Amino acid sequence: MVLVDIRETKSVKAADVFLQVRPGKDFELITILRAMIKDQPISDAQVAETGVSIEALQDLVARMKAAKFGAMFFGMGLSMTRGKHMNSAALLTLAAEMNAFTKFVAMPMRGHGNVTGADVIMRWQTGYPFGISFNRGYPRYNPGEFSTVDVLVRGDTDCVFVIGADPGATMPQPAIDHLARVPTIVLDPHVTHTSRLAKVHITTAPAGISAPGTAYRMDEIPMPLRPALESSYPTDEEVTRRIKEAIQTKPDWMVEGPQRLETQV
Amino acid sequence: MDLKVIDHATCTFCGCVCDDIQLHADDTRIHKAKGACVLGKAWFLNHTTERHYPAALIDGKEATVEEAIQVAADLLYEADMPLVYGMSNTTCEAQRECVAMADLLGGLLDSHTSL
Ligand code: SF4
Repeated sequence: MVLVDIRETKSVKAADVFLQVRPGKDFELITILRAMIKDQPISDAQVAETGVSIEALQDLVARMKAAKFGAMFFGMGLSMTRGKHMNSAALLTLAAEMNAFTKFVAMPMRGHGNVTGADVIMRWQTGYPFGISFNRGYPRYNPGEFSTVDVLVRGDTDCVFVIGADPGATMPQPAIDHLARVPTIVLDPHVTHTSRLAKVHITTAPAGISAPGTAYRMDEIPMPLRPALESSYPTDEEVTRRIKEAIQTKPDWMVEGPQRLETQV
Repeated sequence: MDLKVIDHATCTFCGCVCDDIQLHADDTRIHKAKGACVLGKAWFLNHTTERHYPAALIDGKEATVEEAIQVAADLLYEADMPLVYGMSNTTCEAQRECVAMADLLGGLLDSHTSL
C-alpha cells in the first residue's frame, strides 16, 4: 500500500511506502506520474517541486506497472485543495492510462452513509450526479453555481429542505447563517444542529436500523438494508413523498406546464 | 422477548457501506454487531426503539407529522428558489422522492458530494 499525503497521518502505520507531497502539488505529482508511465521526459525542477524524490517516483511507477490489479483511493484532500476537481480528473486520467499496462481503477473515499446512492439516483433521474438546478424546467449541472455551500454563502436560496445531513454542524459559518435566515425543513432521526435553526423538523426512522430500503456500497453496488428494529417514526421516503404530494395539489409554478420526470418504479 | 439474528446486515454509518454484518437484536435494541468496525458497532448499539424526540417541531414547538408536512409543503411551494440538500444518511427510495420533489419545485438539488 502506497500512501500519499501532505503529512504523516495514522494510516502511515498501515502503509508500505509513504510519499509526502508538498501541499497544493497533487496535480503536478499526478501529471509527472502520467508522463513517467509513458516514458515521456520530465525535468528535475518539475520533480523537485512536488517534494517527492525521483527515485521514489520511479519505484512507485514500477510497483504500479507490476501490479495485477491496482486501485487508487482518493479523498477530500485531493478534491478540496488547490485544483479541486482538476486534481480528481487528473487522477482518473492516470487510472485510465494505467490500463494500457495493467488493470487499474480509481475510487473516491466517501464520508457519509449512502452518499454514493445519492450520486447514482441523481445520475439515473437527471443525468447529473449533484449540483443540479431545475429552475428552467429541465436539469442543468454546474458545481460552483448550484452546489450548496456556494448557493448558501451567496444567499441564492430562500427555503431549504435538508434530509440525511447536518449542514448546521459542518458548513462554513456564512452558509449556516443563511440557513438560519431562510425557512429550513429538516428530516432526521435526531434533533440536529440544523433542526435547532430550522422552521420545521420531522423525526424519521433511521435508515438501516429501523427503516428498510436500499443503500449503495462505496463501489456502487446496491445493498438491501436489513433493519433489526421497528420504529414508531415514519421513514424518510414516506414523509418526503407526502410533502411532494401536498405540493402536487397546488397549481404548477410553470405556466406552460412542463414535462416532468416521474419517479420510475 | 424475541431474540433474532440478522445475517448480511448493511451498515450505513460511513460511506463504505459494509454488507457483511451480523446483528443480534431483541425487540428494543441491538446487542451485537459482528463484523462491524468500532464506528459501526457504536452506531448499531446506540439505537433503540425508544422515542427520544417529538414526532415533529414547528418553530421549536411540538406538532404532528401531518401539520409539519403541510407547513413544509407551503414553504417549499412559496419559495422562489428552494434547495433540496443532503440525501446521504437515507435510502435510495427517499432520494428518488427528493429528486422528484426538486423537479416539481423547479428548485436546486445537491448532495454531500459537492462539499
Ligand atoms: S462497519 Fe464501519 S467501515 Fe463499515 S460501513 Fe459501518 S462504519 Fe463504515
